[in-house]
Amino acid sequence: MKYILPKHELNALLERWSAEYAVLAPQKAGAYSEFLPFTAQSELCLEEPHNTRYPPKALFFPQSEAILKYKRNLGQLESIEAVPQKRVIFGIRPCDAKAVTLLDTVFAEGDNQDPFWLARRAETLLIGLGCNEPGATCFCTSTESGPFHTDGLDALLTDLGGEYLIELLSERAAGLFSGLESASSAQQENAQAVQTAAEQALPKAFELDGLKDKLDRVFDQDVWAQLSESCLGCGICTFLCPTCFCFDLVDEAQRDTRVRNWDTCMFRVYSLEASAHNPRPTRKERTRQRLMHKYSYWWEHAGKLGCTGCGRCVRYCPVGLDIRAMLRKASAYESEALHAN
Amino acid sequence: MTEMEAKIRTEAARLLSEGLVDVVVAFRKEDAPLRPQPAFFTNVEDLENLVYNGLCANNLANYLTRFPQETRIGMLVRGCENRSVNALVVEKQHSRQNLYLIGIPCTGIIDWRKVVALTGEDILTYEDSAHTLTVRARHQTFALPRQELLHSSCLRCVHPNPLSADIVLGEMLPEGDPALIRERVESFEALTRSERTAYFKQEAERCIRCYACREACPMCYCEECFVDHNAPRWTESGTTPAGTHAWHIIRAFHQTGRCTSCGACERACPMDIQMTYLTDKLGKDMWDSYQFAAGMDDQTQPPFASFTLDDKKHFQVGGKQS
Repeated sequence: MKYILPKHELNALLERWSAEYAVLAPQKAGAYSEFLPFTAQSELCLEEPHNTRYPPKALFFPQSEAILKYKRNLGQLESIEAVPQKRVIFGIRPCDAKAVTLLDTVFAEGDNQDPFWLARRAETLLIGLGCNEPGATCFCTSTESGPFHTDGLDALLTDLGGEYLIELLSERAAGLFSGLESASSAQQENAQAVQTAAEQALPKAFELDGLKDKLDRVFDQDVWAQLSESCLGCGICTFLCPTCFCFDLVDEAQRDTRVRNWDTCMFRVYSLEASAHNPRPTRKERTRQRLMHKYSYWWEHAGKLGCTGCGRCVRYCPVGLDIRAMLRKASAYESEALHAN
Repeated sequence: MTEMEAKIRTEAARLLSEGLVDVVVAFRKEDAPLRPQPAFFTNVEDLENLVYNGLCANNLANYLTRFPQETRIGMLVRGCENRSVNALVVEKQHSRQNLYLIGIPCTGIIDWRKVVALTGEDILTYEDSAHTLTVRARHQTFALPRQELLHSSCLRCVHPNPLSADIVLGEMLPEGDPALIRERVESFEALTRSERTAYFKQEAERCIRCYACREACPMCYCEECFVDHNAPRWTESGTTPAGTHAWHIIRAFHQTGRCTSCGACERACPMDIQMTYLTDKLGKDMWDSYQFAAGMDDQTQPPFASFTLDDKKHFQVGGKQS
């Protein structure tokens, strides 16, 4: 089902949703945007060419979350229940929505049933906004995603200038759009043209086909030292990544609480063992891990690519490292250096 | 290629080909728009990828501690980088005789975030000249006044010139006005206690504990940072206020008498957190109490790292009073 919504009616629609749901939408916070409770349409940041700076995975998997309370000395445990609100996340970009489905393979498949993740997922609707003009650091078309990709979304909006075309993608979101006019065939064609133009504006940054095998073959090669030479070893690329999910469990003993914090393979202490041995002793091994995890190991553990091309790691790397170029260089190394030997 | 780039390449080529250094630490042509990368050059052929312009945003002195003491390093140093190198030499992190400093009088680092706020992200090419940054974006070309794009630390810079370089490329620049950095600290000091607390919390609580500020800082080279120590644990490691407050306060204190106000911490921060108001306050205190500024030479120990037998001990019961 496809609807049409004049932009000046968006405010009323989000207010209507707010009666029943907590509505989160990208809004200005200093120089960047982040998902905040909806206040007014005038506060929304829907025109930016890309994402919020901080990834919306945090709305399901917060960076620091108390998961257990205990009483020292008494041997008592007190569980913390996830009691989520009914939520609509409005204006999420397709790359970030797809990332949520990738994280489902970590937190909600097989034996891995994370109660916090599941409770929030069950109560949340994702209403996406496609990207008419993808940013220069975006590369979703290279990563089995795209500026109007629908994975994970309950509905997708296409900006047609004065109005949005809304494509309903799940039954559970149907009520949100009741009373809206259906899109005419001319409007649907118009949306199709916008979507095609956006896809074409973003040529592939690297060839994904065969990339996993190439990376696997250069695992023990020097190319990783070259690629990681200027890496600072900070956590920006992984903390801002919408698909990175590593965490660390810490007992905050002074307040009798067990906390789950995001962790990152880019930190030296991440893989440091109690014996003082570190299986990833330098930035070379840690950079390799970050790229290999997304572009090789995800295929093995989930049958999917672990990157959606959102571009945050490129945009905010303090030394300008660009994962697209790193993959191209690793791939070229495999083709040239390795085969020459 | 700019004139300065050509000069740097020539000097770097001389150093490498004459075997005077093992590596030249400088900047490489970017992959992502506006983001030249720090790079280690070890052969002359690779120098064609060397670039230098106002968007070279990192403090290269940060890489000094990556190399063993015996590595002979050629390093590009602007005013702040030279002072960071000096401070590291004072702390015996590299031997001065194994360093060859290629000095560049610095006209200020351009903050890429200020550029994209004006031009959008879709940048094809750019050219940095004396007063103007010309940016050709997909839909439009912009000629932006350079002064309005400078990083805030650079706007307050006192010493833009390299102080102890082995060679200086380009003309020396006039010194900056020390009142600018002082006025900023004084305006923070003039706030009430609750206003200062509110400002500190507003900044620190946005922290995502990525430690980019630490990793970008030349003076943060500890093998094990206090936040990574777990027996005992000094701070909460998550993003709770207790954790972020402790991180920002202790990080700043560890810089006392060592920070050269280069601003690399703020340029690296993904959340636009202000941090230099704390380190600059400590810098002002060091000057007012001890007439000491970090990195002005490569000999003088920072006051908090040195002692003499006749130090005042007025804080100690029975200590000397004057």
